Amino acid sequence: MNVLVLSGYGINCENETLHAFEVVGFKGKIIHINDLIQNPKQLNNYQVFAVPGGFSYGDDTGSGNAMAKKIMTNLYDQLIDFSLKDKLIIGICNGCQILINLGLVPSLNKKDPEVALIENKSGSYECRWVDVKVSNNKSPWLENISTLNLPVAHQEGQFMIPINLLKSIKANNLIGLQYIDHHKKLAKGQFPFNPNGSKDDIAALTNQNGNVLAMMPHPERAFYHYHIPNWQSNTLKKFGDGYKIFMNAKKFFA
Amino acid sequence: MTNTIQILSIEKTGKESSLQKEHNNKSIKIIDGYFFSTNLDDQKFTKISKLISNDVSQTILTKENVNKVLSSYSNFNWVVEIKFLPGVTDNIATTVKEIIKDNLKSSFKSFELGSTKIILIKGRKEDITKISKNEANPLIQTINIYPFKKYLNNFKKDQFKIEKVKLPKKKYSKKEINLDISDYQLSLIGKLGIEENDKSRRGTLGLDLESLKAIRNYFSTIKRKPTDVEIETLAQTWSEHCKHKIFSAKIDDIHEGIFKKYIKGATEKIIQLRKDNFCVSLFTDNAGGIEFNKDWIICHKVETHNTPSALDPFGGAITGIVGVNRDCLGFGKGAKPIANTYAYYLADPNKNYQLYRQKNNKDPMLPANFIAKGIISGVRVGGNCSGIPTPQGNVYFDDRFAGKPLVFCGTVGIIPKKIKGKLSHKKKANPGDIILMAGGRVGKDGIHGATFSSEELDPNSPVSAVQIGDPITQKKMSDVIIRELRDENLYSSITDNGAGGLSSSIGEMAKESGGFIVNLEKVPLKYNGLYPWEIWVSESQERMTLAVPPKNVKKVTKRFNARGVEATIIGKFIKKEKAIVKYNKTEILNLDMEFLHEGYPKLNLKTSFPKIKKEKKKIIKKSSLIDKLHKLLSSPNIVSKEFIATQYDHEVQATSIIKPLQGEGRVFGNATAIKPLFDDEKSIALSQAAYPQYAETNPYDMAGCSIDTAFKNLIVSGANSKKIAILDNFCWCSSDEPDRLYQLKEAAKACYDYAVAYQTPFISGKDSMFNDFKGFDKTGKSVKISIPPTLLISSIGVVDKISHLTKITPDDGDILLVLGNTRNELQDSVYSKIIGYEKSQNPVVNSKDALRTYRNFEKANKLGIINSAIGIDLGGIGIAVTKMAIASNKGLTFDLKLKNKISVNQFLFSETQSRILVSLKKNKLPNFKKIFKASDYTIIGKCTGSNVIEFKDNKKIMRGKISDFAESYKQNIKGL
Repeated sequence: MNVLVLSGYGINCENETLHAFEVVGFKGKIIHINDLIQNPKQLNNYQVFAVPGGFSYGDDTGSGNAMAKKIMTNLYDQLIDFSLKDKLIIGICNGCQILINLGLVPSLNKKDPEVALIENKSGSYECRWVDVKVSNNKSPWLENISTLNLPVAHQEGQFMIPINLLKSIKANNLIGLQYIDHHKKLAKGQFPFNPNGSKDDIAALTNQNGNVLAMMPHPERAFYHYHIPNWQSNTLKKFGDGYKIFMNAKKFFA
Repeated sequence: MTNTIQILSIEKTGKESSLQKEHNNKSIKIIDGYFFSTNLDDQKFTKISKLISNDVSQTILTKENVNKVLSSYSNFNWVVEIKFLPGVTDNIATTVKEIIKDNLKSSFKSFELGSTKIILIKGRKEDITKISKNEANPLIQTINIYPFKKYLNNFKKDQFKIEKVKLPKKKYSKKEINLDISDYQLSLIGKLGIEENDKSRRGTLGLDLESLKAIRNYFSTIKRKPTDVEIETLAQTWSEHCKHKIFSAKIDDIHEGIFKKYIKGATEKIIQLRKDNFCVSLFTDNAGGIEFNKDWIICHKVETHNTPSALDPFGGAITGIVGVNRDCLGFGKGAKPIANTYAYYLADPNKNYQLYRQKNNKDPMLPANFIAKGIISGVRVGGNCSGIPTPQGNVYFDDRFAGKPLVFCGTVGIIPKKIKGKLSHKKKANPGDIILMAGGRVGKDGIHGATFSSEELDPNSPVSAVQIGDPITQKKMSDVIIRELRDENLYSSITDNGAGGLSSSIGEMAKESGGFIVNLEKVPLKYNGLYPWEIWVSESQERMTLAVPPKNVKKVTKRFNARGVEATIIGKFIKKEKAIVKYNKTEILNLDMEFLHEGYPKLNLKTSFPKIKKEKKKIIKKSSLIDKLHKLLSSPNIVSKEFIATQYDHEVQATSIIKPLQGEGRVFGNATAIKPLFDDEKSIALSQAAYPQYAETNPYDMAGCSIDTAFKNLIVSGANSKKIAILDNFCWCSSDEPDRLYQLKEAAKACYDYAVAYQTPFISGKDSMFNDFKGFDKTGKSVKISIPPTLLISSIGVVDKISHLTKITPDDGDILLVLGNTRNELQDSVYSKIIGYEKSQNPVVNSKDALRTYRNFEKANKLGIINSAIGIDLGGIGIAVTKMAIASNKGLTFDLKLKNKISVNQFLFSETQSRILVSLKKNKLPNFKKIFKASDYTIIGKCTGSNVIEFKDNKKIMRGKISDFAESYKQNIKGL
């Protein structure tokens, strides 16, 4: 079980993302985008392709856009190929923005992106912990999970989806995660439960196979119990909720 | 054909909403514009537009659709076009160029590109003017306001223009400067700069007459005239910013100067007493280093960026934070930045101070809220984009910062103790090593930054001193250094290019080898037309200088290039103790290293006891205790700074273990902690403190309070008292006046006394001595505004075990106690300022009592006796108790039947230092009493778990709902 964790041009969560995969049993490597473009065949050695969070190209021209365009020009076919196999792809935060800009999720009509991530309704960067519920538990990434407590940290996390597309996303059950309030009910756009004003409280989308997950919250930052705010009140657990996502990846290949 | 691409969001953006709200105007739309220096044919236009826009969320404007698209939003009638002045860093344009280069490989030759913000409104011209004032800074941007009709016309006729740097093509010939002139003429060179052929002046050198005379003497001994480059270089190297002349000057009877005697002296004394390996690298490097565990060193550095932030708050602050990140990269062989800290001392953002740098309402200071917002977002963009968490900080407001804001930016780094068997904190450029400059290119930005930050802000302050950081370029460079080069030992030394640019970085590194030869024409430039002296002293950001053994140069350059980072050979280090600079083979600088670094005249300073200005006494207004608490909680220096904490990513790197917002009720904490290594449970606790409000009354005690609070906050968080180090940042005013120097000497003396008493070494520091504003008010009257002397003490400590980390939330049934005694110390407290003056004193730290409290606390905490704890500072016990209740959302009862002879107000709101509010489980009290003497603590109440805080005295019970207190505490700061 090998994971490729992408880096370069301002991606910055590669270390902790790789660490999370390694703890659950993966072997992995951080690979710079330029090295991958030089030698795309190395993708064959990996079962998981992870695009971590960060600020690729400083979010200029829209978060994830510049990196997505670079991948589209240089690696698109290889990545599509990867996604069509029995392999897993995850994009977290900036990685999510990159996958959305690539159109790898929801990928209902292929190639062109149909969903956009736009600036938070608050107009400001939001670094805070949120609760999300799993809506599509068919995705191998999200199997057997009901809710998660995870941090978000982004300026552009608001899912913008044309109405018709939203209908087919729902019909195909492609909403991965949705923000919920303290009573485990959908946040209904209410701040700060829904930190960015995302339509239908969407925090993550998957493709139709469920093997590609694009999520705004950061599971790798909620990996150990001491990551959780006010963890001192509950020191019995070893892991935080983010651990479950990485364990699911392991189970998929077990 | 067109030369512009303009894109707008289909839906209302967050930024548009906030603008609409702020200006009470529903018809505001923002367009992202990209202006090209060349015409794009239709095919290129389509391709590029697609590359830089989003099909789903954005619309691309064209000549055909512009009218229709925009009229669907509103009947706009005014437009403001905001773009960067030529030569100002335009990060978006850089990215767009890179996207085009990456994806359209066959693209076009060379072209210029500028990013532009275009704001459309329906409203009056006054409205758009007001918006432009809030959104743009004339110092770095051009602002064009025109009617919407003209905008449409511009669109149709391709009349959007970018502003290119237009420097006259000039052939360089060596310039020699005649110093055999009158003292008056000489002093003009120092103050206004070297005279050009057209009689204009280059801008301040910050050199005083004595220094210029020393230069004259040196050159008369070597029998030639100095070149302009030599004078510029000496000005940089000898600047107060680089040499800290005041701290090293003889002052009264202290011959060795206050740095050697009090700051370094304290550390030396402590090392002598401690006999351990805690201190690793002190004062000599870009940051100070201490031992983290057996394999790792951590380093910390805090810088100020005050003057640049006064002129361009966003640019000043972002440059401040990415600049101090480079201090970590330049620590030893290169430490990885793992946390940022910040502290801002600002004027009231809700006030309009109306200050001008020149008479007749000319050259206005930026408004206080513009400065505050710009600073906050500068650090946000710098920190977040770099992937470095920013957990720790604070903000303090006082009118006396109206002329100059203080912006402290700090970074913590981590580095293995040994790299390939060699000590990582030791570095040495060897003779023969190649000088490699890596990272960004050099432009006119930041020229004379080091020399002018050492002076007061007045009309001659140079505007080219402003820079804007580019965190992504730096991140790319940093990744190569830390991940790919360092651990293979491919270079022998490294340092950053900050103040003074190459002249300073190479000058410093060359001390390790002997000297250097640099070929300036090799330095890659942002645009042509720079003079050699400009290249040499430019402070263009995102550059590191490396000393690379010749055999590794190819490998190192290749690694940088493969990651999209430029790296250029610009010279070599030599054994001979000479500083030599050439430009196209002409030698333009040739100085002895000794003279370069030590040739400046040493100052001889005298101090005198300042006259104490008595402030008017306020009348006490009667109000209830609950009322007072609300007023204090919502006052700007106590109110929650959550809005900053949530916009600064403190979770990146997955190390945050004590977060800035604490408890369910999200109280803004005064210490935070990160756990930097996955395989060691040790954490790093961080805090900081400054008390400018106490400074004028007694600078000695002010400094004592800063050290005590910074130290205490780490003890409270669970740090090991023997593993705490501190950093000093003196921000002073009018440091050429004897009474200000007296205050400085007193504060420095306290630094020695308290650091030695607590055995907490100073490991690094920086000073900024002239934080004064000289200008005019709106009536044309000349004014001088000086900051109150401010000493920021930053503390960094190691927490040995996860279980030692504390929380601030008590549980039901807990007993509440105050550790340490409370005295009547209300003089310059928040209570005095907000509620009303009471005759009193300012806090005086008794280090013996304090240490007893801290050691006992540490012991009790390790034994698990303490359930929760919070350091008591601004607003005293009253505010500490309320914060505990808000954090835990659990009610408390509080006993006011006081035994000692102070009033209820004094007991609750006095800012006596060295006190900790703790809660214990009831059954731990007997064990607690085994550690603490009865005279060292007071039981004040308990945690009830209800939804109110109750204060009981002999007569009555006063109650306030926690939710109401939380509301007061979480109010927005007016003007922000």
